[in-house]
This record gives sequence, C-alpha cells and structure tokens, in this order.
Amino acid sequence: MLRSKYSIVFIIIFGLIIHKYYCKEQTYEHLQSKPLRFHVAEFNFDHVSNVYAITLWILLGSLAKVGFHLSHRLTEKFPESCLLIILGLIVGALLYVTHLAEQKAYVLNSETFFLFLLPPIILEAGYFMPNRPFFDNLGTILLLAIVNTLFNTICIGLTLWGFQFTPIYGGTQFDMLPCLVFAALISAVDPVAVLATFTEIHVNDMLYIVVFGESLLNDAVSVVLYRMFESFAKIGQANIIVMDVVLGCLSFFVVALGGVLIGIIFGVIACFTTKFTEHTPVLEPLIILVYAYLAYLTSEMFSVSGILAITFCGMVMKQYVSFNISKKSDATTEYVLKMLSSIMETIIFMFMGLSTVSDNHSWNTGFVLMTILLCLVYRVIGIAIFTNIANCWRLLELTRIDMLIMSYGGLRGAIAFALALVLDETKIERKKEFVTATIAVVFFTVFIQGITIGPLVKLLNVRRKQIEEPTMSAKLTNRMMDHVMTCLEEISGSGGSNSLRDRIRNFDRIYFKRWLLRDTPEIRMDIKLLQTFKKINTQSAMRVHDASRGLVPAAAATTSTADEPGSGNNLKSDRRFENISELIAANLPENTVPDLMFFENRGGDHHHDDVQMHHFLDSNLFNARPRAAIHHRNQDETASSDDGTHNRFEKSYHHRDHRYLPSPLDREHLRGPKTISKIIHNANRLPAIDPHPATTTPRQHESRSQSISTTRENSPGSSKHRTKSLSKKSNQTPPSTSVHSENEGTGATAAERNHPWRHSSATDEAKTLNVGSKHGNDPHLHNLPITGEDISGTYQKSPESMGEYATTTKPEEQSSRPDVRVLFKKRSQNTLEHQDDDPDESVTRL
Amino acid sequence: MGSNASIMLQQEDLQNICQQTGFTTKQVQRLYSRFKTLDKRDCGFLTREDLLCIPEVNINPLGERLIDVIMNDYGENNKINFKQFIFLLAKFRHGKVKASTTEFNTRECKLRFLFDMYDRNHDMKIDRNELLEVLKMMVGGNIHEEQIATIADHTISELDKDGDKSITFEEFCKTLERIDADDKMSMKFLS
Repeated sequence: MLRSKYSIVFIIIFGLIIHKYYCKEQTYEHLQSKPLRFHVAEFNFDHVSNVYAITLWILLGSLAKVGFHLSHRLTEKFPESCLLIILGLIVGALLYVTHLAEQKAYVLNSETFFLFLLPPIILEAGYFMPNRPFFDNLGTILLLAIVNTLFNTICIGLTLWGFQFTPIYGGTQFDMLPCLVFAALISAVDPVAVLATFTEIHVNDMLYIVVFGESLLNDAVSVVLYRMFESFAKIGQANIIVMDVVLGCLSFFVVALGGVLIGIIFGVIACFTTKFTEHTPVLEPLIILVYAYLAYLTSEMFSVSGILAITFCGMVMKQYVSFNISKKSDATTEYVLKMLSSIMETIIFMFMGLSTVSDNHSWNTGFVLMTILLCLVYRVIGIAIFTNIANCWRLLELTRIDMLIMSYGGLRGAIAFALALVLDETKIERKKEFVTATIAVVFFTVFIQGITIGPLVKLLNVRRKQIEEPTMSAKLTNRMMDHVMTCLEEISGSGGSNSLRDRIRNFDRIYFKRWLLRDTPEIRMDIKLLQTFKKINTQSAMRVHDASRGLVPAAAATTSTADEPGSGNNLKSDRRFENISELIAANLPENTVPDLMFFENRGGDHHHDDVQMHHFLDSNLFNARPRAAIHHRNQDETASSDDGTHNRFEKSYHHRDHRYLPSPLDREHLRGPKTISKIIHNANRLPAIDPHPATTTPRQHESRSQSISTTRENSPGSSKHRTKSLSKKSNQTPPSTSVHSENEGTGATAAERNHPWRHSSATDEAKTLNVGSKHGNDPHLHNLPITGEDISGTYQKSPESMGEYATTTKPEEQSSRPDVRVLFKKRSQNTLEHQDDDPDESVTRL
Repeated sequence: MGSNASIMLQQEDLQNICQQTGFTTKQVQRLYSRFKTLDKRDCGFLTREDLLCIPEVNINPLGERLIDVIMNDYGENNKINFKQFIFLLAKFRHGKVKASTTEFNTRECKLRFLFDMYDRNHDMKIDRNELLEVLKMMVGGNIHEEQIATIADHTISELDKDGDKSITFEEFCKTLERIDADDKMSMKFLS
C-alpha cells in the first residue's frame, strides 16, 4: 500500500504505462475467449491501487484526527499521538488477523518515511520557528544537541553492551558496535514526537525551544553516529583504525555544516526567486515548498543532514519571503505547511501503530527494560550536567524544574523507529531485538511520558506560554528594551546577546534584505513594530466584522441605494452617516483603534454587505504600512495579472482609494454646501498647478494625480514606470531605495492619490477637478493636512510632510474615544483652517 | 591613563561600590577600564560625545535618547563620572536570584528607567507627545505622521485606564506584567 518507492508522480506515470500494457493484454485474451465487446464501464482497481491506497490512508488519518477532536474528554487526557498509535495498532491487528494485505504493504517503510513523511513536518517546524528564542538559546541548544546526544549515545551503547556480561539478557549476545548503532538511533530526541507533545502542553517559549531545538539539531549528530557505527560494524570491530574514527568526527562537521549550508543556499535562492513572482502570485507557495523540498533532497543526495537543511531553509525563507509574496500567498503557504505537516504527523503515528503488529519482533525483556531505563537515566544525567554548564553563560538560568521538564520531554519517536527498520540484518544480527526495543522505548516515551507530561507541567507550575494578543504597548516597550540593552551593552563593553543581535540585524538589513527583498526597507525603519500594529488593527477590524454581522448591512440598507459613485455622495444625508458610524462604534470592541470607526462610514456605495466589509477591513489594513518597506500587494492581482498593465493597475489600487473616500465625504456632509464651494474654489486653482487639463476617464485621473506628484512621471499607464520614477520627496536622502515594486515605496504617495475607482464620468465638475487635483485640497484624497499643532507641539513639520503626509484619515487630536461625530466636526474644522495653505506648499516642493 | 588621582579607583571606593551595587571587584575593575577607554580625553567623566562615539550607540535609534537619560538623570551638567556610571549600570545586573538583588536592580528600578526613557519632562506621565517622539525615533523612516499618531493613540488607549490620555507609571507597569522585563532589562557583566 504505502510501499511506493517512487514519488507519487512517478506512480501515476507508471500507472498509465502499465495501464496501457494491461489493456493490450486484456484485449488479446478477450479476443481468444470471446468476441470483443465494448464495455460501458470497467472495474480496474489495479490501475489505481497504489495511489488509491495512499489516498485512503490519508483519509483514514484525517478522519481519525477529526474524530478524536469531536470528543473533548478523549483529547484532554491523551495526546493525539497516543490515540493515533492505538488506532494504528487496532487496524494493524485487524489486518494481521484477517490477512487482508501482506505485511510488507502496511509496515512503515523507512524510505517513504524519510522522503515523504518527514520533510513537511520539519519544514513546518523550521518555517514557524520562533527565531528570537531560538537564537537567544542557540548556545544551550547546540550544547545539548551535540554534546548531550554524543554523551547519551556513548553511555547508553556502552552500558547496554556492558550488561551482556550479566545474565540480564538471558544469554543473548550483543556485540559492542551493534549496541552503539542502536544507541545512536535511540538516544536522539525526536522532533516529531516533541512537536506533537509540546504543542499541546504550552510550556513557555524558552523551554519549548530548548527541547525542540535540541531535537532538530541533534539530527546531524545522530545521523553521523548512526552511519559511523553502522559502517564500523560492517568493517568489523577488529579492522577499525584510528583514521576511521578521525574521519567519523570530521564527517560530523561536514554533515552538520553541509546541511545548514545547503539549507541556507536554497532558502536564499527561494527568496531571490520570489522577488520576481509579482506577476504569478499563484505559484508563490509552490515555489517555496519546492525549494525547501529540493534542499532536503539535495542534502540527502550528498548524505548530509537533510533535517538541518530543510529547517534552515525554512528559517531563511520565512525571514524574507513573506515580505515579497502577496498576502494571499503568505497565508496559503502557512496553511499548506500546517496542513501537510499535520497529516504527515498523523500518518507517521498511525503507521507506527500499524508496523508494531508484525512478525518482525523478538522480545527480550531484559534488553527492553534495560534500554528504557538507560534512556531515562542518561537523559536526566545528561541534561543535569549540560544544563549546569550552559547556566554558566546563560543570563536566564535554567532552573531545576526546567531541567526536569527537559529531561522528561526527551521523547523518542518515528525517526528512531525508521532507522531501526533499515538496519542491515546480515551485519547486525540482533536487528529484531533492536526493533522491538525501539518500539518499546518509543511507546514508553510517547504514552507514559507524553500523557503524564501535561499534568506534570501543571503540577510543577512551570511557566506557561503566554497566549495573549499582542498589544502595541508591550511590543513597543519590548523593542525599547532591546534598543536600550543594546546600547548599554555597548557602553559597558560587555558585548552580550543584544548587541550581537543588533549587529546581525544591521548586517542583514544592509546585505540580505537589499538583495532578497523587492523593496529595501528604510534604514532605521522598524518594520516589526509596524507589522504588529497592522496585525492588531486587522484583528480589531475582524472583530468589528464579526460583531457587526447583520448590523452594518442593515445600516447600509437604510441608505439610499441611488447614490452614484463619485457624484451622489454629497447628497447623502447625515442620518445615514450617523447610523453607520454609530453602529460601528457600538460594535467596536475595546481597544479598537479609534480611527477604525471613521473608515466605513460610507459603505453605502456598495450594495453588498460583503463587499462593504471587505473594503472596510482592507482599508484598515493600510494604516501601518510603512512607506517603503512592507510590501502588501493587493490580492486582486492574482486575478488580474494578465489583464494588462492598465487594468491590473486599476484593480490593485482599487482598495487604496477606498480608504480615502470615507471621511472627506463625511466631512462634506458636515460642512454642507459651503464646503463644496470651497472645494470647487480649490479645484479651480488647480489648473495652474496641474500641467494637464482635467479629463474624465479614470485612467487619466491617474495620470493627473501622478503628474502632480512627480512631473517626471512619463508613462502613467504602466505601473512599473510610475513607481520607479517616483523618488522620495522628503528631504531625507533615500537610503538604498531601489524600490520598484508596484505600489509601495515612496511611490505609494503618488499612487495613493490615484482614483481609478471612481468611474463616474464628469457628472460633478468639482469632483472631476478634484480628482486631478493636488495634495491638500482634494477631499477624495482625504489629505487632510495634519498640522504640527495637531500632532504635537514637539514636531516641526516641514512643508514636505504637510503635503506629503496629508493623507490623514483620523483626527489627530483624538486619543481617547469621544463621540464620533464630535470628532468629525473637529476635524473638519481643522481642515477648513488649513486647507488653503497646502497647495502652495506642495507646489513649492515640487 | 589613570594619572589623575581624583578618578583613580581607590581601594575603599571599590569596596564601597561593590557593596552597594552588588558587582564583584573584578566586574567593577573591568567596567573601570571600559570607562577609561571611553573617556578619551582622560578627564574623569564621560560626555555625550564620548558615548556617541560608540558606533553602535550612534546608529541606534534610541541611542541619543538613552544618552539624554543617562546624562540628565544620572550624571550632572551633561557629564557622568565613574561612580554615576557604575550606579547606572548596576540597575541592569540580573536580579532574579534573591541574593543578587540590591536596591538598584529591582524590577521597579528597571521599569522606572524604561519609563524615564519616555517621560522626559519628569511629570510621571507619558503623554501623547512624549510617546510620539519615541515612536518616531523607533519606527524611523518616513512614515505617515498620521500612522504614527494612530499608533500612539492606540498605544495610549491600550494603557490608559483613567482616561486622562496619558500613561502613569502604574499603568505602564501593568502592561509589562506579562513581559519578563526583569530578564530582558538585565545583562551579563563580564568579570
């Protein structure tokens, strides 16, 4: 069944070939027996048998998982891995009794395991690796992964071998080298098992990363030791010379560093590739997966550590790829990774159960018990020794309780089992005993330790992982602490982890980010901070969305459906405005960014609630977007990538414009006709500024506003030209901005002013003019000038920032949350006050 | 170096400092030699320029602000002498173990230092302008004023419980309850 030694694709191709061949033969036979007739339908299981079986197994695994989670009581008490193993055992027993399939077919095949089942899990682990704790604890992790694993292997191997001189094994002989081979595979902590268990018990990040990091990185050690001892066993104990041992030690560095290197190389290539995928966003997730898998396969090909390779590949990719690929692709990648690793994990545990029921065993009570005991004892000893050593340099020392959990979390799993299965029985005579002992250890750790570790963590009151929503203040203070500590470390000359991290970050920004990202972030720009804000904003928006389900639509329904985009807005009644904003305000959760409520006030353009909410949410996502750094390509691109530049462009800016709509129009409500006349007045001044006369098609609107922003702009229709040629307006020298994304970068400023969304023809003269108008005056653009007084007395704003940043969507003076309407009024007053000054300023700038 | 007798590290001074701050003698000596290295003009105190000479501090977005705090709150007349310097650093010893806690490196002291990074007018409140200033420094780049203002407002609204649009020290501490500020605001002093 799952014995396919080739990739699935291969099977399919082969299946087709075989099918053809079969058909011919069948035809031949048929001809002999009876005249050939056309068959309406044929039953041809052989044709699909392999793939069918695989699919069925996957289905069984998924259904089992779904089933387990239907019962809370079950999953509370037992980890999923245990349940899956039990299921596997049951199915295995059934198959064994009924002889439905031959045993070879459903026993875990180590090639399948290493080529298909393992990589997705490890990739997921690498991709979602919490980098900060990982690198903070790297020293400890490395010490444990390398030295502790070595220590465990040697001790367990020698002790097991030593006990053969006692009657404990019942007289069975175990040679030293086979014992060491066995020890090499049994002493490595298993990442799959650790992941499965630790994700359920939610210990704090540090503890988790120490155990999990160890389990990932010890792969190099265990691979080397396993191979070394295995080949020694083949060479024969007598023939080993010192050279072999030296080479073995050397090979460790090759295996470990080689794996890391291959991983990083492929990761970098993947990032570099995604730099150019803007026109084919659909393929982005695939590219990421394929590169990672290639990294794994390549390193397996060179027989270096594939696990290290794919881990580091994932870690590197995560750093850069998410800035390059579109939001959708990002989410898809994450989801696909989660899905793959989850199903692979399920299958692995199920197959462990299945494979247990076989004839391949030879139970040796003494040996099994001895192995379990030694694994436990040496784990505790090893952790105790090496954690204490690590504590010498650790700032945050690991306590005794931490040590206990670390020892107890040293679970063994499927990797050990798969390795035991590939042992060569001709060289290692005791393979069956080893397989049995491995299964026993795995079951012991997964069942006994896996089930009890949760209660133990509770009992010992281990610090849990804080599952909380990110708060801006916490993030901000965190960053501040980092900066402060970096400085202080430099000042005091102690050179701790903070300053190291800072240096790496700078290096990363100067070299890697520049080459791997589509947009180079600004120097000193704190992307993380902005991202956090964006995330919080998104969450609030989502909550608004959830909370106001059914309410906002109702509000929208009360509004006149007759307003035509662009023209009818002025006619909207105050009543409507109040309705929606009140509704939203009423539904706002605590801690919502206050300005959220200003965005959706005029969703009435859209008669569909979903569309309305969609824009509402989308516009809110914008807020934290740094001007040159984070790349949020609009998702509409996916659909529109081949519509030609023009069309595509319009679509991509579709949302952006929505953002600018709301409050100016609301302002218009409040201001009434007076404002409108003012707008017209402003607009009339524009032709003087604007080199081109106003035209009516949205396309030209674009060019209008662009040409205002930069007169250098020459080919407005092409999105690429436009953003490229836009250079930074602020007097800061643009440091390394090789910005040529579609909409980001400083070019966004200009882009934001485009109005492809308004397809209204020139029904409203003022409007049309305004569309083509400058910063500062256009109510559509929403570039309500923020004045220095508004924001803070401390900031003196240059005329640049007045024009450039005058895209405010929120009243600056608002910090608590007073009534919405009050705010609007205030703001509109502000606008009126400052409106007249702006155009001149921006003109001078240009 | 060290020719100036007034800044030579006297034995009893050393003892005193060790006792008060919890540094070991070796750590103090090490910090002293660091101090001397930074003090290029060999005048017994560090000035703002001395600290800004350290490249990492110079490029750090909060470097200048930190030096502000150091000079104003810990030194005097824009200078900081060795004793002040070491009392400043004593705040950042790791103080989780009971025995190593002194009056300087309590959690509150560390938080206070952090709070002072925002609160430059010492009114025991972080108001919107102060927050904006810090945000601008940290976020850097040319972000919309509007965005930064939004972030500031959001941050204040997260913390502000009494609705006075500013953050008091108590409110400030509250958010940091969940964060291991104690660990994060500590460093390993080499000895």
